[in-house]
Amino acid sequence: MKSIRRKRLQTVLLILVTSALGSFLIIRALDSNLDFFYTPSEIYLEEIPENKRIKIGGMVLENSVVREKTKISFIITDYQGSINVEFDGIVPDLFKEGSGVVVLGYLQEKTVIAEEVLAKHDENYMPPSIDIDK
Amino acid sequence: MIIEAAQFLTILATGLFFLCFTFSIFFDVNDINIIKLISRIYSHSFFLFLSSFLIYVWLAINDNFSVLYIAQHSNTNLPVFYKISSIWSAHEGSMFLWIIFLSLWGAIYNFSANNNEPLKARTIGVISITTVGFLLFLLLTSNPFETILPLPPENGADINPVLQDPLLAIHPPTLYLGYVGFVIAFGQAIAFLIEGNSSINWEKQVRFWSIIAWSFLTLGITLGSWWAYYELGWGGYWFWDPVENVALMPWLAATAFIHSLSASSKSSILRIWTILLSILVFSLSLFGAFIVRSGIIDSVHSFANDPERGLYLLAFIGILVMTSLILFSYRFKILFSNKRIVSLSKESFISINNIFFGALIFSTMLGVMYPLIYEFIYDQKISVGAPFYNAIFAPITLLACLFLLFSIESKWQSKLKITFLNNPLIISFIFSLFITFIAFKFYAVSRAWTLVSLFLGLLIISRYILVIYAYLFHSKFVNIYSVLAHIGLGLLIISIALNNDFSSERALNIKINETETYKNHEITFNNLQLIEGPNYESVKADFIIENKKGNKFSLNPEKRKYFVRGQITTETAIHTSVLKDIYLTIGDQLDDGSWIVNVQFNYFIRWIWFSATLMIISGLFLARSLNRVHS
Repeated sequence: MKSIRRKRLQTVLLILVTSALGSFLIIRALDSNLDFFYTPSEIYLEEIPENKRIKIGGMVLENSVVREKTKISFIITDYQGSINVEFDGIVPDLFKEGSGVVVLGYLQEKTVIAEEVLAKHDENYMPPSIDIDK
Repeated sequence: MIIEAAQFLTILATGLFFLCFTFSIFFDVNDINIIKLISRIYSHSFFLFLSSFLIYVWLAINDNFSVLYIAQHSNTNLPVFYKISSIWSAHEGSMFLWIIFLSLWGAIYNFSANNNEPLKARTIGVISITTVGFLLFLLLTSNPFETILPLPPENGADINPVLQDPLLAIHPPTLYLGYVGFVIAFGQAIAFLIEGNSSINWEKQVRFWSIIAWSFLTLGITLGSWWAYYELGWGGYWFWDPVENVALMPWLAATAFIHSLSASSKSSILRIWTILLSILVFSLSLFGAFIVRSGIIDSVHSFANDPERGLYLLAFIGILVMTSLILFSYRFKILFSNKRIVSLSKESFISINNIFFGALIFSTMLGVMYPLIYEFIYDQKISVGAPFYNAIFAPITLLACLFLLFSIESKWQSKLKITFLNNPLIISFIFSLFITFIAFKFYAVSRAWTLVSLFLGLLIISRYILVIYAYLFHSKFVNIYSVLAHIGLGLLIISIALNNDFSSERALNIKINETETYKNHEITFNNLQLIEGPNYESVKADFIIENKKGNKFSLNPEKRKYFVRGQITTETAIHTSVLKDIYLTIGDQLDDGSWIVNVQFNYFIRWIWFSATLMIISGLFLARSLNRVHS
């Protein structure tokens, strides 16, 4: 009888230890791969390391789009702060001055080097956490 | 008037479905007359509901814009095909279709299962109450029958142009058929728990249905991936978008489920797994519906945000899952088999891989939900992207592959004997190592992950080819469809790894009559023309591509503007060869008249879908062979 109980205890412990270890590894992987979302005014509030991938959302500032061959640069604003973005490639069809945009990239010397530029499918889309009172 | 009739039929059907459920609970379901009665009510109810849907389709075909939903999503200029598919282009109509399919599976099961098949009446009862839950959701929160009276609009607001695509018209129906197909397995599992008779082999009865549903789910996901590839213009096949993730979770659970079923239908040894997984698969399918339709998660696919809908679905799913789990714990004792899992047997390896599947599901769920939790706790918006999923999926999938290989060597209920001489595994091992070495040495495959994936993928394929050899020449019994599906898996792993390693892209700035070179291909911008489509106008570019062998072909990417919604879409142009796709999209025109053009070389991308297709076909044939044994 005793050996059965001991065996069961071993099994339960084994399951607990493995699942704890597994969860720990998964959560660690999660924590080191989060993309933080900032608005242009929040971005200067904290130190963001250059190798940290971040998301910035806001509106494309009017008359800020500059194109140079395949490169495009523009300013994202939330009308309280703004930040310059550089991107090499095709911007989405819905990208235009004065409308909402989200970019994914790295912050380098006050400029975001974007890997991806997203404009939402829905033309009424407003990036989250921006209240515009013009 | 007609639309009210359709709505009335649906309400009537809801009532009758509910009657089926109450009968299955309060009457003696072992009485053949009661079984017949429940079965008959279910059929009638299904036909009422189906007629309601068919009326709706007919109204859509005939441009009846007094129906609000049709007015909002269809248009007289659309071809009939898209008038029909516009029904599932938004929330209300697609929910309608979802429930039709839910009850359709029940109807097919009801029709094909013999009245003396154990658990039949209760299974239909469970399917009925699930259907009722969704029907109430449809009628109370998302009514597709709402009308605009007395003044219906002249014309409808049109279907979103990116959805005007034959593939997208069939992608949601196949996906839904997969999602809700697991209702039969779920229904039988619950019926089994209520009945509490451990001698009933419900696993054998649902294997056919589950494999069919799995095939549809796989097909639905594959079609979605393919559509996104050519339509959205980003060029990938998977984006780890929340909506993709909520389709992936039931798929993972379903895959674990059908593997456990094949073990359990022989001996009821993995019964705890099969019961839990059947509940998990169906709950995850419903959870997907909740995520997509509540709008709580930011996604490119999500329907309009409506907290009321989300709350209803959450409550409904919660009740369903809680009831199932309470039943499960109540009947926990009868689920134990008196046989124990022999260590190093086939069952043991399936159990281990179930745990890996569980870990993948848990991680995906975490990735989907973590942004919500994080924002709630820290008031900081975050998102979880591809790096996290890659970090989890790559190692776990590859580990699971190892156990898959052990399971090929092992037998049911007996210990794996490790004999290193004269073992086919050794032959495949040497072969795979050799090919991987060649890829490393001569084809510039150098990343560790790619090499490991290539090696393991080859190992799976070559090991299974040896199984086929034994099947053909030593007439050894094997499940040939399972073999083919797993060869598909090996191929999938290799293609994903090579796609990731070799694919590249670059944006070019090019004027008409100019030529640019990218990776030994000369890309010439030949000309540009304005063309007029049936419901759009378009800028169509003509590019001539010449590869280093001197072969020339032209590619015509477009930019379209649709009249009704004024929406601009990008039409990609793709040249497919055995190893790679050349994928061209045009962007904006600059002030000096030049254009931005994006060129991508996507390696092995067709192989990814081919592998999935191999799995789907194997699944369907396996189901067919099971059905033959069954009848």
